[in-house]
Amino acid sequence: MLRMYLWLYVLFLYAPIVIIGMFSFHSSPSLVFPFDGWSLRWYEQIFASRTFRESLWNSIIVATAASVVTTLLGATVALALIRIKGKMRDVIATICAAPIALPGLFLGIALVSGFAQVGMNRSLLTVTISHVLYALPFFVATLRSRIDYFDSSLEEAARDLGATTWQSFHLVTLPILRPSIVGAAILVFALSFDELIITVFVSGNESTLPMMIWSMMRRTVDPTINAASMVALGLSLIVITIAGAIFWLQRSAAISSRTSDLRVEANDQVDSTTEQRPQSVRPVQSFE
Amino acid sequence: MRIIAGFEEPTTGTLKINGQNATSLPPEKRSVNMVFQRYALFPHLDVFDNVAFGLRLRKLPKGEVNKQVTAMLHLVQLESYSGRWIHELSGGQCQRVALARALVNQPDVLLLDEPLAALDLKIRHHMLRELKRIHEETGTTFVYVTHDQDEAMILSDRVVLMNKGEIAQLGSPQDLYAAPESLFCAKFFGETNILEGRVDKITRGVADISTPLFSAKGAARNAREGETVSISIRPEAMKLTGSDAPLLAGPNRLTGHVEDIVFIGNRVVYQVRHGDNLLSCQETRPVTGIQYTPGSHVHLNWPDEAVVVLTQ
Repeated sequence: MLRMYLWLYVLFLYAPIVIIGMFSFHSSPSLVFPFDGWSLRWYEQIFASRTFRESLWNSIIVATAASVVTTLLGATVALALIRIKGKMRDVIATICAAPIALPGLFLGIALVSGFAQVGMNRSLLTVTISHVLYALPFFVATLRSRIDYFDSSLEEAARDLGATTWQSFHLVTLPILRPSIVGAAILVFALSFDELIITVFVSGNESTLPMMIWSMMRRTVDPTINAASMVALGLSLIVITIAGAIFWLQRSAAISSRTSDLRVEANDQVDSTTEQRPQSVRPVQSFE
Repeated sequence: MRIIAGFEEPTTGTLKINGQNATSLPPEKRSVNMVFQRYALFPHLDVFDNVAFGLRLRKLPKGEVNKQVTAMLHLVQLESYSGRWIHELSGGQCQRVALARALVNQPDVLLLDEPLAALDLKIRHHMLRELKRIHEETGTTFVYVTHDQDEAMILSDRVVLMNKGEIAQLGSPQDLYAAPESLFCAKFFGETNILEGRVDKITRGVADISTPLFSAKGAARNAREGETVSISIRPEAMKLTGSDAPLLAGPNRLTGHVEDIVFIGNRVVYQVRHGDNLLSCQETRPVTGIQYTPGSHVHLNWPDEAVVVLTQ
């Protein structure tokens, strides 16, 4: 019974993706069964469309810029939070992450009037700024657990061992935070890439991919929409796969350094005078 | 300790390391290394890289780094763990990595901030012996902060006993144990019996002290005639005898009855009631077995040298 439920659940989750995926390769313009056969014509058509290519490119630019800027700002916040001691750290971290709960509609309206106040024309720049504002709380929230467990005596230990303030930052603090920062940056990219509500408010003439798909949807139910959606999905999947691969590589490097250790331990019993240190697979860090 | 390491500056006074003023030198410029209470090992580096951290910052050639790190890991008996991540180590191993990471830099002073506090009792005793061995092998000056009096006595050449931020006494562990300068010091190291009395007379440096129930005699130290003083007598200095013979007259002896007996393997501690005072008296376990039972009448006596007079 429970297993049955689980299958239904999976079906419910993935049926839309499978159906859109199938019809994006459909050889006829019909969006209903029966299925007539496969073809790539909708993909050819969508990539032939200038609007599509431009909005896809716009989305990639905005998402990249937004994740770079958010990462710089958010990582700075994280570093500042590490240095705050006691209860204040919790309070400030909560304040920094709380706007997650802000409705996009509200943020969109606020931003439109905000940009009007300062006399900024709506463009990809305003979209990027808005995406940064929208994604920053998510970034800080993602880093929070890392911040909470960061032991500031690690920096003192580095100083104690002869590192300057800068060296202790780039040899200790940054490497420890780096995996979380990379993960959060990828999340920001994904958030920005498919953001629609705020973008509708703050964008100028150039449209992003979600906006373009949405406007196509309003005119007709065109089978190219399926292909466009699949391209958007594909890009998101690529980004997530890259993130997964980074984590997997880090983990497997750790595991293989463990197993190579066991091998070295066995060798040690034969020849304990070997001068070479047990080699780990991951690159040995050099401080130059 | 944070002042010696350079994380804080003293409000008054100067800090000298090897005769050089180091009061406002930043931590990275001092030949001082620290073993942190919670070790503060770098989680993103393996054991080898943790230990090599200081050497690499000093831009030592690679071969030299390898040689010194390997030698240091050998000293702390962790050669086969060099490629392990920190989270794969036990508490005792972490402690040794922290020690190696600090010692490999050959500091003039090694600071240890309660390094054994996070370990359980068994490993603690083991690590204590290890620390003593490494201390003797390297000859480095160790500054060791601890709340554990046993650790202090086992490891130290000199002990600085601090009370509320002030130095209460400075001396060898034996000095502190046998000749405490204040009531705080006497109570801090080991068990002792504290009694109050009045100095009746001082003749040639020896004080006659009367307490409400008995009289004692011992080195007067800085006490004056007529002064009320505390006297400390260590439990192991007290001698217990049966009450068959009558109690001889004179100071440093009294009679009482056994209230409680605590058997600690090689030692036996008797709690002897004498009026309002409950005195503890410790003997090595008599091979003939414990002769007394709670309620037995006993005599207690102790030599003059065992009486430590503490002015208030």
